[in-house]
Amino acid sequence: MINGNLKATYAADERINNNAYKTAFVWGFAALAALFPFVANDYLILIACQYGIMVVAVVGVNVLTGYTGLISLGHGGFVAIGAYGVTIIHAGLTALSVPAGLQPFIAIPAAMALAAGIGLLVGLPSLRVKGVYLAVATLSASFIIIFLIELDALAPFTGGKNGLTTADPSFFGWVLDTQREVYALIAACAFATVLLVQNLFRTRVGRAFIAIRERDYSAEILGVSLLRYKLTSFAISAACCGLAGALFAYFYARVLPEQFELLLSLQLVAALVVGGMGRTMGPVFGALVIVLAPEFLKLTLGALMGSTVEAAQIRAPLQEIFFGALIIGFIMFEPLGIAQISDRVFRALNRWPFARG
Amino acid sequence: MGQVFQFAINGLMSGAIYALIALGIVAVYKATRVVNFAHGYVIMMGAYFYYTFAVLLPASDWFPDLTYAPDWLATAKAEAPMFSPAAAYLSWLENLPRIAFGLIAAIIAASLLARVIERFFMRPLLGQSQFAMIMITVGLISVLSGVKSMIWTGDAASVPYLAPNPAIRFEVFGSPVFIFGANLASMVIAIAIFGAIVLWLRRSAAGVAMRAASEDQSTAYSMGISVPQVFARAWVLAAATGAVAGAILAARDGISPSLGLFGFSVLAIVLMGGLDSFVGVFIAAMCVGVLEALVQWQLGGDWVEVTPYIAVLIVILIRPHGLMGSEEVERI
Repeated sequence: MINGNLKATYAADERINNNAYKTAFVWGFAALAALFPFVANDYLILIACQYGIMVVAVVGVNVLTGYTGLISLGHGGFVAIGAYGVTIIHAGLTALSVPAGLQPFIAIPAAMALAAGIGLLVGLPSLRVKGVYLAVATLSASFIIIFLIELDALAPFTGGKNGLTTADPSFFGWVLDTQREVYALIAACAFATVLLVQNLFRTRVGRAFIAIRERDYSAEILGVSLLRYKLTSFAISAACCGLAGALFAYFYARVLPEQFELLLSLQLVAALVVGGMGRTMGPVFGALVIVLAPEFLKLTLGALMGSTVEAAQIRAPLQEIFFGALIIGFIMFEPLGIAQISDRVFRALNRWPFARG
Repeated sequence: MGQVFQFAINGLMSGAIYALIALGIVAVYKATRVVNFAHGYVIMMGAYFYYTFAVLLPASDWFPDLTYAPDWLATAKAEAPMFSPAAAYLSWLENLPRIAFGLIAAIIAASLLARVIERFFMRPLLGQSQFAMIMITVGLISVLSGVKSMIWTGDAASVPYLAPNPAIRFEVFGSPVFIFGANLASMVIAIAIFGAIVLWLRRSAAGVAMRAASEDQSTAYSMGISVPQVFARAWVLAAATGAVAGAILAARDGISPSLGLFGFSVLAIVLMGGLDSFVGVFIAAMCVGVLEALVQWQLGGDWVEVTPYIAVLIVILIRPHGLMGSEEVERI
């Protein structure tokens, strides 16, 4: 029995922030994010932006893997499409002499739509296969996407292996040419994505996704169209990753194909597993761990070995081992992720001094 | 026509190595129902073990040199013309102790690694969902690749071929065909190992136990089969064949971390052939090998790396369980 969570009306029960912890967390986090650029130094801004981009992308993976139960190991490919899409569309809009102040309003949705369209295409095998077959199909698709980006024949559009430079986005003349300004855009998008996806799962579509996750054939018998909802899930998920890609391109101002290879796809999945699959807070926690882990490692190594060459050499492999160990550790000992741990903590707080854990 | 023959035989030679690697994935899947996404990285470790025991160790001061260099060999080598078949055979003979030691030590080291993976990562998760199993092997990708970079440097290096490497030239339909002897020998080795293991699984008591465990674990248990032992055996089998494949690949392409990525194209091949069918996987491996060679001929080397991925997407859309895989029956 859950106590300390009293609801007197249906309206109160249906609210997104249906208890005090959630309300406090959301408003507290929003206030923190709003004050952040005025107090933080450049390094913290960099970390925060990486975190925001990661959250958006992991929310995308969460829609597909966490809520719909379809495994994807290829979401790095959709991030790549978002990043390249927004860069190429900017160039195209400039060529069409669209005013710079309006370009992002076209480029961001267009890049998301492009990613969603390719997501639909990649999702097609999901109608016939699932589990490991789908994991390999999505992995294959992401290899093919990166390959096409690097292909010499398409280099006039994609820049091949040399990558592209993204124009600074300009909103009605407000040019976001510093990282601090792009931070505002990233923070707004990250909040909006988490909120929209949370709301999605209070609708008919979201419930259909969850039904498919629980048992796809049963869902079909109950009248959930697998064709429609699996593909919708792929499209929404790819669109989120496309948005993350667009933010990525704006933030770094330079996109290179190797940034979106297997490692990114694995990081996205690792973040989801660590944070908690099928939970709103999963991506929020998971992305934090994945973004902070390398920094933490850097600090620890720096403290232990100083800034020697050896420390720099073993940092990258250690980081890889650490990512792998995170995935393995969470799958073995806490398969529901940090979201489950936080649940347990708050439950214990609520019931104190009675039941604990 | 002769050119088609040249590319076909190139394709068959690389297809046989694909088949040898795929064997490991299929054996583990059949015994334990785990699809090993990290198999490519197990192979990479096998290749690095071979590199360590066949090249690095003999080069160090405190270890015997491990070359076979009697006087007659030295004189014969000096007399043999450069790049002649005789020179190739003689230099292979000179390196033979290194190759044998390296290969055997690599197989043992890879088997130990497989035992560790099986015991500490796979067995605790017995009976868990497929997602958990896939994620564990995905985590292993990262761990193995990190461990590799911790121990060995990222530089590409070359290792000795398993078999003598004379250049073989002959003519088919009037156009010249050119084959490296080592590649041909590798194909023979790969096919022989593949055939021997499939036969072993069919005939021997251990093989029957493995098939029984894959059919129904609890019944196999009650018939007195030690299922954990079967699992361990499957992993060791996969790692040992993987070490041989790794040694072959390392000699052919040079040793580098990209060997790990090779595993993903083999995974694609396995799904194409059907996860639980040795015959289907063999056919798929050969087809992809030939297809890759033809693609290289017609479209250029770039396209080779995505050929298996495009092929698997097409095959999965048409036949969701691969060419000869058995369909999973689900009950609600």
